[in-house]
Amino acid sequence: MSLHWSLWIMFLVVLNLGITLFLFLWGTRVHIPTRDDGTTGHVWAHGTLREGVRKLPGWWYWMSASTFVIGIGYLVLYPGFGAYDGILDWSSRAQLEQAQARNEERLGPLMEQARTQAPSELAGDADAVRIGGRLFQDNCAACHGLDARGRTAIGAPDLVDDHWVHGGDEDTILASIREGRDGVMPAWGFLGYGRVKNLAHYVRSLSGQSHDTAAAAVGREHFSTCAGCHGPDGTGNPAMGAPDLTDDAWMYGGELERIIASIRDGRQGEMPPWKDRLDEARIRLITAWILSNGPSY
Amino acid sequence: MKFPIRYRHFEKIEKHAWLLGILTAFMVSLGGLAEITPLFMEAHRVQPADHVQPYDPLRLAGRDIYVREGCYLCHSQMVRQLRFETQRYGAYSTASESVYDRPFQWGSKRTGPDLARVGGKYTDAWQRKHLLAPRSLVPESNMPAYPWLEEATMDAEDIQARMRALRRLGDPYTDEQIAAAPQALKGKTELDALVAYLQGLGTQREASDE
Repeated sequence: MSLHWSLWIMFLVVLNLGITLFLFLWGTRVHIPTRDDGTTGHVWAHGTLREGVRKLPGWWYWMSASTFVIGIGYLVLYPGFGAYDGILDWSSRAQLEQAQARNEERLGPLMEQARTQAPSELAGDADAVRIGGRLFQDNCAACHGLDARGRTAIGAPDLVDDHWVHGGDEDTILASIREGRDGVMPAWGFLGYGRVKNLAHYVRSLSGQSHDTAAAAVGREHFSTCAGCHGPDGTGNPAMGAPDLTDDAWMYGGELERIIASIRDGRQGEMPPWKDRLDEARIRLITAWILSNGPSY
Repeated sequence: MKFPIRYRHFEKIEKHAWLLGILTAFMVSLGGLAEITPLFMEAHRVQPADHVQPYDPLRLAGRDIYVREGCYLCHSQMVRQLRFETQRYGAYSTASESVYDRPFQWGSKRTGPDLARVGGKYTDAWQRKHLLAPRSLVPESNMPAYPWLEEATMDAEDIQARMRALRRLGDPYTDEQIAAAPQALKGKTELDALVAYLQGLGTQREASDE
């Protein structure tokens, strides 16, 4: 802060305090002339309201007096009087840094544990799981849901069930979080709506859902195209991230219309990589929460 | 204690409404004069952080949509200097990050989360889907849907005029950048612009920290 602005603020502070202090001292001591009836002669509403003269109640007087003491005390202790820093040398940034350091210290042992222990071990630690759940809420729940049951609107898979697109062992989950995943299925709309629909009926038949048997039989003939990724029996391929079509887990929904849309338009799923936003300890804590079946509570 | 000023001098103030009003306004303004004028007069001293650039045309258009739709009424863009804020959202906001925001979008109310560092937190696909149908992704959300953004196109000349206006206020846009704006907006919807704006929020600060 430049000197003249510092002086400007000091001048205004002194002026303000000076005028209010003068009014406070003067107003409580000045002699106010009164008439015979004990009023000042100031009237409103044609004399219905008349101004009397009373001493301020003690509690009011001392409360007002204390505001001067508190105000001046504040300006002595904290920054506020121009460029003067106050004798406590307080700043919001230093306060934040102290609070952050205290927090680091508090979390230190747990974070050290998270860095070194396998998530499957961490999953047995109540504190680790609880903090992992908090981190999940803040970072992952937007796509996977607070309940971690997934969102078919965006193809975020269910993390509670036993079905895993890429694999559910701890190393694979860690890799999925660290590096992210691309789930790209090409669009097959060029096959024409009829074939796509037949395929969709066949896909529903794989998981035992209601379907048109005749359409499914025709669709089956075209399934060789899909088998490259989803496997000849439709059980998927975790290495490619091709989901199992025979179970009841659906990333984009298992309704006929949704399956038709998936085949016709393809899917461009994207799980972003988290290694730049979350450190290794936090990624492991989230993994521990998922492994602990934390979402099931 | 004897005071030199007698009551009758103050009776004059009490009995003249205009005089009383003017003197009251004077006293009330002292705090504002001390707190606002120095910051206001020294505002030009706040320099952009090293990596803070003026908005490119698409993000600028997105910012105007953000303002038009009133996003600031529920979302702040101000990470305060409090531990639980920096832990959740990232580094606290600085004045130098907002030099190209006219007006700034710090906001004062959070019905939804702070957005100062939201850029890159979610995918483009998530942002699009979330703006069009928030509850398809977050059933607990009470954010309104903005389906019309997907259909609405933008007027490139309008954005160019805004860039020129901002340049007159001191934003360092070059003639080339203004001339290239129609190309940047070609085939883009308002949804594209708003997502581009959101995905840029706070990322310039992160770049300068690393």
